Amino acid sequence: MNNAFIIGQYVPGESLIHRLDPRTKIMIIFFFVIFVFFANSAASYGLLTAFSIISAIVTRIKLSYIFKGLTPVWFLIVFTFFLHLIVTREGEVLFEVLSFPIYSGAVIQGSEISLRFFLLILVTSLLTLTTSPIEITDAIESLLHPLKRIKFPVHELALMMSISLRFIPTLMQETEKISKAQASRGVDFKTGPIKDRVQAIVPLLVPLFVSAFKRAEELAMAMEARGYQGGEGRTKLRELRIVNRDRYTALLFILIIIGLFLTRS
Amino acid sequence: MKNNQMQSSKLLKLIVLSLLGTISMLLMFVNFPVLPAFAYLTIDFSDVPALLAALLFSPVAGVIVQVFKNLLHLLVGGGEPVGVTANFLAGTMFVLPVSILYHRFKGVKSLIAGLVTSTIVMAIGMGILNYYLILPAYSLFMGMSDMAIPSVKWTIVTAGILPFNVIKGIVIALLFIPLFTKLRPWFEQKRATIS
Repeated sequence: MNNAFIIGQYVPGESLIHRLDPRTKIMIIFFFVIFVFFANSAASYGLLTAFSIISAIVTRIKLSYIFKGLTPVWFLIVFTFFLHLIVTREGEVLFEVLSFPIYSGAVIQGSEISLRFFLLILVTSLLTLTTSPIEITDAIESLLHPLKRIKFPVHELALMMSISLRFIPTLMQETEKISKAQASRGVDFKTGPIKDRVQAIVPLLVPLFVSAFKRAEELAMAMEARGYQGGEGRTKLRELRIVNRDRYTALLFILIIIGLFLTRS
Repeated sequence: MKNNQMQSSKLLKLIVLSLLGTISMLLMFVNFPVLPAFAYLTIDFSDVPALLAALLFSPVAGVIVQVFKNLLHLLVGGGEPVGVTANFLAGTMFVLPVSILYHRFKGVKSLIAGLVTSTIVMAIGMGILNYYLILPAYSLFMGMSDMAIPSVKWTIVTAGILPFNVIKGIVIALLFIPLFTKLRPWFEQKRATIS
């Protein structure tokens, strides 16, 4: 667990993507995740890749920073690729590695699936990079609003989401602090048989839970002192509003999806 | 005044569940494989906070923590939809039996009995779900048609999913029982103030 992950790490900015309504971004990503599975030709993959990369560039966040945040996923992408090289036996034999045949179908399929993974992760991470957790929860609350009719606790869900997201960095630091404190008392997390390492987690979790409860009590107290009474009649500091740039972006995305279906084989 | 008290404990519950969800998601990143042949099946301790919530509040609270853990995991970019759904189903099947038993009978004995039941329910449930739902979904998602062949599925379930979930249940139980006995006095006090 280190800070190389972009976990809920929002990078503030003024780019077009930053200023889009979070609902627009969420809807586009939702449909992107679905339509990625429809791509099946080089041209259609190229179109989606171009869309993702250009979006990443438009955010004006350093590409190296974005890719660094994907580190945990690189492994999965590479793993999928090699799995395909070993398992798939389609097409003709391209070459042999230590008398193990590599098929052309395997290379094609492997790169397709890895690319698909990469696009999915890249685009979803753009959302969390350019949208603050508060905006995301506001958007979710607004998008789920119709569900209020069937007594679905939309406001509570949004509140819990924003609290969870807000506390990711805090609890991460807390975990690090506790594990260092326990290590200085002689708890060994890194070596030894698995059984010992599992046992070593107990002195890490106990203080973590206790401090989480303490934080929860403080937060509940602070919220009530400020007059929090649930979602009924609550007003917002920042109202979400769909403006022209959202409409144009949505239109562009629809055109790309049409393009995707035209370039499918 | 009474109404205020109610509101307060409800809000506190919401916040506690959110934080447990966050801890649970963070614990997902500390994982290790157990069966060399199935490296993608990894054990983590993300079910522990959910178990705690389920025992402290109600079985449903445990399920809520599982929901948040997986939602956050997806949002943070740590998982793909099929794996996240599978994890949620496994977690729910693990948390529900033990917490239902514990709330009915109380005591450490019922906790142990519950964890054993949970492990069995999760192993068999995940076996069935994998065979009919998860493996076909994966084969679609990863583009590997081999995974949808019945004999292949059967091998994966009997050699991978079943032993894996049994081991996972045992490992989590071995961690959770000492943790729970240590936390119990504090736990009873919290339960008295919150619910």
